Amino acid sequence: MKLIFEYNENDSQHISSIQDLDDNENNNDERLGKYIPVGLPDGLLRKELPLPKVSEPTVVRHYTNISHLNYGIDIGFYPLGSCTMKYNPRVNEDIARLDGFQNLHPLSHEDCNQGSLQLMWELEEDLRTITGMDAFSLQPAAGAQAELLGVMMTKAYFRREHQKQRTKIIIPDSAHGTNPATASMCRFKTITIPSDTRGNLDIDKFRQALQDDVALVMLTNPNTLGLFEENILEISDLAHKNGTLMYCDGANMNAMLGITKPADQGFDLIHLNLHKTFSTPHGGGGPGAGTLGVRTFLKDYLPLPRVIKNDGKYVFDYTQRKSIGTIRFCYGNFGMLVRAYSYIKSWGNNIRNVSKNAILNANYLLSLLKNDFEVPYDRSCAHEFVLSSRRFGDKSAMYISKRLMDYGFHPPTIYFPLIVREAIMIEPTETESKETLVKFASALKCIAQEFKEKPDFVKGSPYTRHIGRLDEVAATRKPNLRWTPPIHPD
Amino acid sequence: MDFIPTTDADKQNMLNHIGVKSVDDLIQILKPRLQHKLDLSRPLSELELVNQLRFLSQKNKLLKYFIGAGSYNHYIPAAVAHLILRGEFLTGYTPYQPEMSQGTLHAMYEFQTYICILTGMDVSNGSLYDGSSALAEAALLSSSYKGRNSIFVSKGLNPEYFKVLKTYCEGAGLTITNELNEDTACVIAQNPDFYGNIENLQYLSEQAHKTGALFIVCVIEPTSLAILEPPGNYGADIVVGEGQSFGLPMNFGGPYLGFIAVKNFLFKKIPGRICGMTTDINGNKGFVLTFQAREQHIRREKATSNITTNVALMAIASTIYLSLMGRTGLVSVAESSYSRAHYLRDKLESVGLTALNTKPFYNEFIMQAPFGTSKRILSNLLGNGILGGYDLGEDKMLICCTEMNPIKDITSFVSITKETIT
Repeated sequence: MKLIFEYNENDSQHISSIQDLDDNENNNDERLGKYIPVGLPDGLLRKELPLPKVSEPTVVRHYTNISHLNYGIDIGFYPLGSCTMKYNPRVNEDIARLDGFQNLHPLSHEDCNQGSLQLMWELEEDLRTITGMDAFSLQPAAGAQAELLGVMMTKAYFRREHQKQRTKIIIPDSAHGTNPATASMCRFKTITIPSDTRGNLDIDKFRQALQDDVALVMLTNPNTLGLFEENILEISDLAHKNGTLMYCDGANMNAMLGITKPADQGFDLIHLNLHKTFSTPHGGGGPGAGTLGVRTFLKDYLPLPRVIKNDGKYVFDYTQRKSIGTIRFCYGNFGMLVRAYSYIKSWGNNIRNVSKNAILNANYLLSLLKNDFEVPYDRSCAHEFVLSSRRFGDKSAMYISKRLMDYGFHPPTIYFPLIVREAIMIEPTETESKETLVKFASALKCIAQEFKEKPDFVKGSPYTRHIGRLDEVAATRKPNLRWTPPIHPD
Repeated sequence: MDFIPTTDADKQNMLNHIGVKSVDDLIQILKPRLQHKLDLSRPLSELELVNQLRFLSQKNKLLKYFIGAGSYNHYIPAAVAHLILRGEFLTGYTPYQPEMSQGTLHAMYEFQTYICILTGMDVSNGSLYDGSSALAEAALLSSSYKGRNSIFVSKGLNPEYFKVLKTYCEGAGLTITNELNEDTACVIAQNPDFYGNIENLQYLSEQAHKTGALFIVCVIEPTSLAILEPPGNYGADIVVGEGQSFGLPMNFGGPYLGFIAVKNFLFKKIPGRICGMTTDINGNKGFVLTFQAREQHIRREKATSNITTNVALMAIASTIYLSLMGRTGLVSVAESSYSRAHYLRDKLESVGLTALNTKPFYNEFIMQAPFGTSKRILSNLLGNGILGGYDLGEDKMLICCTEMNPIKDITSFVSITKETIT
């Protein structure tokens, strides 16, 4: 496929047609004409702008054609573990694009914002109901930014409580990479705790590590092995007795909606990835939205502004002095909040059926596959599960995932969590039918068979995509990160 | 509404296969479990949902916007939304598996190229959340690269951006100062600045480099880059900014499009995803995410940024926007914004306001209203459906024009202002 820079046509969007909007009685060119910026001093004006020249029909065809090289949930099964690739209801796209939501300037007067503020207020209320937390910030742009916010707030809280000695964060070895990376960004040291033979946090090692210098325990529940933490209440209790806070990485909230509340498990903070659990589209890698929920004693540290209700009117509150500040321009990814709000309203008080069906689908798929692949922890799973393909040799998870493409499926997450060798992490979500799960399991079984009979064939896959296996090593050795214009000899 | 395809019969069959009686049997281990339904409203049908949400959206009141301050009202060609709504773009995820994601990667490579051309830099990433957090990431990058802990911020930075920078710096233990010294990791300057001024930053850039600091230019109204000298040409080591002006609706503040572009020597320090061109086993050109060893999922506690999900779809939208506009279109947006702003400035001056920008400005400018009148001006404008600017206090207003402000609205702006102060 050509790059957009390699066309040479007429470009067709000329904004000068804006003048059709103006009153026709006067000659606008004459009025505005003397204000063209050619008179700016030397050094301020650009000398060249080598943008492509492409007509609108070609642009539309170009991007439609390259979209065909992509795979999405709309095309088929996308069991990318830890990412909750569920169906994205189309109505939410239309709702987010309603004029009143989409075309509102963020610095409009409060009287002009009442609809958006009400939506944010009610979304916060619903998220409180779902998690049991006492207050939410909708400002973070993604889960990782909400984590950063949570850790910053933890730091600010202990500073104010005169407990600056709390400089460490406990994180299990199964955690997402963002957890330790976030800790480091805020200059905390990470203590890594191994998992036990049942896939839980090793409680003895946890107890030993839990000293008075530990500020926070960051847990994912269910964890990244797709297993509910069996000792969660004991862990929370130990942490709290030590004066340590409990943080829930809510990436796996899709297993808990309406079944349990993270606050009841003892968590003091939780982030939710609205693009996972609440079905805002992943967009090829964002935008997401990563709300942060906290217990009352942390509420005053939340970023500003907060939406409050005063005499039936919604207003922004900027007054809280303990607040850690602002983590993102204005109020967050509002467009994603609209979609998540709509999703929650669609489900309403039946929302637990999301998690129940997600758990059912995952356990069913696990039951179909457990004789063909190694199951490192032999337990019922939550909304996802991890298999190991190590019996097929080194790099087998990668080969299997590439071969799955030929069967028409997006591969699962592989090589994560790091503690399982040749890990294959499968999250089917609740929006898949039994038929799809059976087909996917059959494909994996076929590949397992192929691996025994003709391993080299599997290793050469995929064969049916638009492109063969890509050389990632060459990409690093000879970086080519942008197009450059060809140099024409004069 | 629900979105569950499984029939009751299928469910029973699945439970039998697993060997349990009910889903509850699968979650015995989970403590504590809720005994009742959550206290949420009853489920809504699609029709009910659309009606309720339309009603809610209409509680907002749209205005004729003469305000920018970080969010700009530009025209978006229709094709942008049509293309990004394609399920292939909309419902994929991060291109971890390049053979399944050549569409996203192809667009990302084009996006990186556009950002490099516009900023005059060597390497761009695939996007960051928004301009404000991109600026904060650039400060952290500088600190980690230089091993220095002080951030110099030139005056004229958008106050919202300053707040975000301050929050990140506090978290990371960095200090913000206005003193250049041997602990200065970077010098940050916005251009055009918050007040619309187009700055000649050559001198500041030289000063930054003399002290061994990196020079960061922040661009929040990127249509300006269509006519202004690219920051790479006046010494920027890092250019960060906001791409919302390129085809994204104002959306009450998000989702927007953060970008970061650097000179070659910094490219392995850049946070977030980067797309690179390579070949497949048959020698065909293709794209992959590259230099992932920088990222949190590999480096964990040694990573300098925790960013994962960014705003890929917004980057695709901007790529499509820029392709539709081309050079002629983008320059016409910039010139139209520029000329309308200057025209309005002159008209307001002629009715008794004072223009405060002493330097050339782009599409935002400060007007000083007569003592005690600016609040009334803004409120009378609001009464006529016009958001007349950002209130800077002390009767100063920060006013913005784009190609979306027709002459007849500019004329009413001026006459309402005139009526208010006379």
